[in-house]
Amino acid sequence: MDKSLQVMVMYLLVHIGLIYFTYPMDIIASLDVGHWSAILLGYASHVALIGIYLKGLSYFGDRSVIEIFLGAGKMLAVILLLPVAIYFLVVMTITVRAYSEIVTLIFLANTPLWAIMALLLAVTAFISALGVEALFRTALLVAVLFLPVLLLVFCLSFQNADWRYIFPLMDKKTAALSFVISRPFLLSQFAFTGGFLFMGFIPPYVHYNRRSLMWTSTLLLPLFLISVYVPLLTFGESTASRFQFPFIAAVDTVDVSWLMFDRVTMFFLISLIGFVLIFLSLLLWKTTLLFRRGFSFVRPVPAVLLLTLVMFIVCLQIPDWSSIERWLWWNSFLRLYVVTVIPVATLVLGMRHVRREAACP
Amino acid sequence: MPIMTKHSLRHGLNMLLMAGLLTVLCGCWDIKDINHRALPIAMGLENNDGGYKIYLLIPQKTQGREETKVVTGTGPTINDIIDQIGKNMEMQVDLLHLKVVVFERGIAERGLGDSVSSFMRSRFIPPKTIVAVTDENLEHLFDHLKSTSTTSGLEIYNYFGKNAGWSPQVAQTRVWQIFRSLGSYTHDVVIPIIKTGRTTTLDSTGSAVIKNGKMVGRINSDETLLYNAFNGISTQGKIEVMNHASVMIVSESLRHHTSFEGKQAVLNSRLTLKVTILETKGAPDAVVINRELNELLTARFNRMFRKIQSEKADILGLGQFFRTRIPRDRLKDWRTDYYPGMQLNLKVNTIIQDDGLLKLKA
Repeated sequence: MDKSLQVMVMYLLVHIGLIYFTYPMDIIASLDVGHWSAILLGYASHVALIGIYLKGLSYFGDRSVIEIFLGAGKMLAVILLLPVAIYFLVVMTITVRAYSEIVTLIFLANTPLWAIMALLLAVTAFISALGVEALFRTALLVAVLFLPVLLLVFCLSFQNADWRYIFPLMDKKTAALSFVISRPFLLSQFAFTGGFLFMGFIPPYVHYNRRSLMWTSTLLLPLFLISVYVPLLTFGESTASRFQFPFIAAVDTVDVSWLMFDRVTMFFLISLIGFVLIFLSLLLWKTTLLFRRGFSFVRPVPAVLLLTLVMFIVCLQIPDWSSIERWLWWNSFLRLYVVTVIPVATLVLGMRHVRREAACP
Repeated sequence: MPIMTKHSLRHGLNMLLMAGLLTVLCGCWDIKDINHRALPIAMGLENNDGGYKIYLLIPQKTQGREETKVVTGTGPTINDIIDQIGKNMEMQVDLLHLKVVVFERGIAERGLGDSVSSFMRSRFIPPKTIVAVTDENLEHLFDHLKSTSTTSGLEIYNYFGKNAGWSPQVAQTRVWQIFRSLGSYTHDVVIPIIKTGRTTTLDSTGSAVIKNGKMVGRINSDETLLYNAFNGISTQGKIEVMNHASVMIVSESLRHHTSFEGKQAVLNSRLTLKVTILETKGAPDAVVINRELNELLTARFNRMFRKIQSEKADILGLGQFFRTRIPRDRLKDWRTDYYPGMQLNLKVNTIIQDDGLLKLKA
């Protein structure tokens, strides 16, 4: 059965969950003027990578990347997939730790970190233990519940925008693209590259139309622009750069007397945490899949529990926000490797596969 | 006796696990009930030997009776005082629903930067809290707010509420706007000045001009109305025209044109006000009212502009219009290099939309 809608929704949720926290801060830190160019550049590379990845996958019909790489040789599969597994584990650990820190910073000031991390991990483990189909259905449910709220918040967030802050649009630094190798820019790419690898893992379980997925990615561009430009228009560049979470600060300034709730920020944050939970569950499911390839004697549920326990222990060892940032920075090298090599390798293997089929059908 | 199969046992265990998750999933930790929280409506900050004295106006509902309480504390930092007050009170002080912060003028003159930044950092006060300044003793103001209150202290909130008692002669400035002006190169703010009223709860006496977080001057209520008109929020504002009439603003629109004459920044603005006539004395005709209104507003605006220009405070955000013309690295010198010598030509154009239910003399 075609589940394109579910896959599209999953793709959107995973990215929305990642965009609105650290991405605006990183983009604002990487440039003084003309933030649109950094957003567009990141977006273009995102679309290019997805295009390559989906094209590569399309050569193999219903096989997942694991099968594809294994088909090309055990050695190659290990070389390609081991970094992916490590990357997933690190991303999950950082995400759990960082989001629990965000939760304490923003709304649960009295709750100890370990409790929030335990809750995040417990829900994650629970959803991913139920299997990938349940995971996609949950994503659909979460989207139906929360996307309308988000849409409302996005509309309201323009309440205090002063459009003149959009100028100046360009300067030398923007035109020369010299920000590309800057640290904040590389960090910001997390929001683009965190989620899309799942498309290669689901083919045997969930079927989808690749073209519709490419179209869905255009929906992301306005979301990225909103995340950076709403705080810029509300506060101006020099003030917005002082915030840890600029978009959330901008939403905090929204004042609507006709809404019975005083702060729309809470709705927004809780929706986003819901999306992040879906993202984490998806990652955990993928990691379990990879893990069980290596150690097939472990059954799925114990595998999930084992990975969760490992992550929880590692999370407890990260003491503060600056070490989270350090982890994020180290991880960005691994991420660059993973998100470029995997799509390209898939495409290369795919083309070889087609040629071989043509040679001896 | 039912036979326990392995399957039903597992099912039961799963159910138990899920029920167990429910108890932790509600996310309550150190929960404090709403009736164990004090939710102040207004906070007053007064200078106290380099530190602060804080006044909190807390509404209380006990057995159907609505009461208001004023709690005070002194200390070196705001957080420290709130902590102390919390320690001494039988309830937890929760500033999350604070509506108004009133600064004593001394603090405003010394600088709001530190306190506003700490509000923004700690999130214990919402960024959309309204800020006001007062000339008088805060103790007197808060006592007055308490003793005259009939709606558990909500008066001061309603006074500034757009859907309640706010009128266009009063500025409406929020914490985040002051924070923005602290970092902005081109945008200063004004803060309403209030005092206790003789027959009403509060009186407005104009607005404080805030530059880089410090109060550098003041404008009166009429000028505040123009300030609001310039920002597009003066609908229903009323203006006395000389001795002939009074009119009400129905709508306003502004058009700007920026240019540079050599090094001098020039802004040509055209403010179009649509008004309706409320009151006339004698029998003026529309042409007279129109001309007098234009002259009055232009003169009043120019006087205000010269005043704030001499204080180098850009409360109208005029630098914003030059963002496309001044390179960004020079923009931070806007207040010192460009603004004092800037030329603003405001043309006021009023349209008498209608003259009420009575006809004007032809």
